[in-house]
Amino acid sequence: MNKRQTRSFALISTAIAVVVFLGLTVDSHRQFPKLTNADQITPQVTRGKDVWHQYNCINCHTLFGEGAYYAPDLTKISQQRGAPYLTAFLKDPSKFYDEQRHRRLMPNLNLDDEEIAGLIAFLDWVSKVDNQGWPPRPILVTGSSIPGTDLAVAQQDVSGSTPSDSRLPPGARPVSGTEDPIALGEALFRTATPVCSACHSIAPGVNLAGPTLAGLASRAKQVIASADYQGGAKDVEGFIRESIVTPSAYLHPGEMYSADGMSFMPNTYPKSLTSEQIDQLVAYLASFQ
Amino acid sequence: MRYKSQSVAYWYFAVAMVLFGLQLVFGLLSAAKYLGPDPLLQFLPFDVTKVIHTNLLIVWVLTGFMGATYWMVPDESRTELHSTKLAYIQLGLWTAMGVTAVIGYLFGYGTGNKLLEQPLPHKLVIVICMLIFLYNIGMTIKKSGRFTTTEGVLLLGLGSAAVLYVPALLHYENYTVSIYYRWWTIHLWVEGVWEMIQGAFLAYLLIRLSGADREVMEKWLYVIVGLVFIAGILGTAHHYYWVGVPGYWLPIGGVFSALEPAALAGMAIYAYNALRRSGLSHPNKLALHWTLGSAIFTLFGAGLLGLAHTFPDVNKWTHGTLITAMHGHAAFYGAYAMIILAMITYALPRMTRRNEEGSSIGYWAFWLQLAGMFGMTLSFATAGIAQVYLERILGMGYLDVQLKIQVHFLMLVATASIFALGVGLFIFDFFRHAPRFVIDEPDPALTTPPTSDAAL
Repeated sequence: MNKRQTRSFALISTAIAVVVFLGLTVDSHRQFPKLTNADQITPQVTRGKDVWHQYNCINCHTLFGEGAYYAPDLTKISQQRGAPYLTAFLKDPSKFYDEQRHRRLMPNLNLDDEEIAGLIAFLDWVSKVDNQGWPPRPILVTGSSIPGTDLAVAQQDVSGSTPSDSRLPPGARPVSGTEDPIALGEALFRTATPVCSACHSIAPGVNLAGPTLAGLASRAKQVIASADYQGGAKDVEGFIRESIVTPSAYLHPGEMYSADGMSFMPNTYPKSLTSEQIDQLVAYLASFQ
Repeated sequence: MRYKSQSVAYWYFAVAMVLFGLQLVFGLLSAAKYLGPDPLLQFLPFDVTKVIHTNLLIVWVLTGFMGATYWMVPDESRTELHSTKLAYIQLGLWTAMGVTAVIGYLFGYGTGNKLLEQPLPHKLVIVICMLIFLYNIGMTIKKSGRFTTTEGVLLLGLGSAAVLYVPALLHYENYTVSIYYRWWTIHLWVEGVWEMIQGAFLAYLLIRLSGADREVMEKWLYVIVGLVFIAGILGTAHHYYWVGVPGYWLPIGGVFSALEPAALAGMAIYAYNALRRSGLSHPNKLALHWTLGSAIFTLFGAGLLGLAHTFPDVNKWTHGTLITAMHGHAAFYGAYAMIILAMITYALPRMTRRNEEGSSIGYWAFWLQLAGMFGMTLSFATAGIAQVYLERILGMGYLDVQLKIQVHFLMLVATASIFALGVGLFIFDFFRHAPRFVIDEPDPALTTPPTSDAAL
């Protein structure tokens, strides 16, 4: 290739790319009204967009995944949090998050009611834009679906000796013992030693080292009623308690769960858990009907 | 220095250096805020430090481009600049625009539109400066009658950069539409016409430093420009993922952005080959380090790290995470910071009393910056990968994940400090010698042309 040919290559390829790009731009404009529900851009939504810009929100947050990466994505926030929550949050973020714990906090922007209402309207419009279904899975602000990670370290302390710390936000405070026993049992399920969730799934049909606990209450009833049950339990709660305290009292069928009349499940729970804690665990497990 | 008016470039470079230093101050502040808690939360929150960090980048890089152009065009066209007075007026206006914009951001003035935060009056000043600049350069070339391909590519790049700023001046009612046109400016700048500008500087430096044959270099420059635009123009589509535009932008983005590394690999191979075949060994080896470094780091940062998250099926998980910061830092540094530092390193010995060979401080500046930026890129990458898996794939909350990746932010601050040290040394080295504008090289237009051409 000589210089003239390479110049033609540069010019022609650029020209083609430009023409295609402009053509697609025209077509995109044809589709924008439908994709973005342009008819729903009310004056309040526009006001909210201006508030969004005025307070430089995009230099901490992302919207449609665009912006800065210092604060959560807000594309679908109005579908995760209702207007009353968002209003209260925007009035004073420090009531919701603790800077000491999360190491960052949204500054109080001193927004007035009209600005907040506009912003929420704008975010709601954003959440309904057809953006090819992104994000593929909800992006959460806090919380978790991973076992164990939704509890603070203090909450995971099963010894129950940590005093309640009133400076922490309520969701991060250690367990006080006055909470719903089922919720406490759920926490224990993920924190007891050895941890129950290491061997038991609560998903139907998922057998790990131990059998699934899905539908445990119904199965317990069947077992108690069956002829080959030799244990002493009279009801579902009793059966579950017995299974935790003396695992070999009833052997779940299957060679991978027991041998020589001995269940593979550890029999250490009567020592490592208090009687109340076992009650909590029973309450939780009995809820799987 | 061959032409008296080239001294204009020195002052552009000086302003660029100061703004570069300031950019790092705000970058380090922003990084420190990731470690938190932030004692400056009420006075100087993250959004302010971040907007100043990115805006100073754009301003100093453009200042550097302008300075480098004012240096290169007299050399290429073999004539004095049309008007040094205009060039100084432009620099004054431009600097005032940049400084007042930054002060404005400190007090909350700005449009809040990502990367286009400049208030309208500032945007208009930007346009005026661009026009003065293009007029001045255009008149210089017209007067001389000598217009090289390298210059042509540079000028077309600069002219298109000005034109592409126009969509940024308009107002859009629909947020999605405003995103659509934001990338006409930002993407088509950094992955289109700025690469053209980089290519032109690269060609100029390689011709000067390696003595590579101009015909060959300029031939390949055209190929690179062609590849940049095939990939770059339709590659805009990768900014159109998940923002409310038609679905066909997804496959277009995947295909054409995947081609972008081809153009950048072309550029790196081009630079390396020119060097290997060079018949003339220029004493300014440090400038050669920066030149080749720019070509290679661009391939790494813009090309490979861009490719890492450009396919829609990958991007749907990585979009809007620190993976983007990983790519952004390495790409901008390699492609634009380094090429300007190369131009400065090449031009400076001719404008100050210093060794052509470069000093040990100069080499320290080069290697510390490279090591620091590489470390920063890795910090963002490790943080980003952890964020993607924990937050996007497993579904942990954003705030909880940020706590779990704190160690990467520590590494970020540490490596950013190494980088800042390297930049500090470069700036120190820049200002260490007072400028000295003496015409000590023969004007090839006045001496016998055939022999001087061979000496180039």
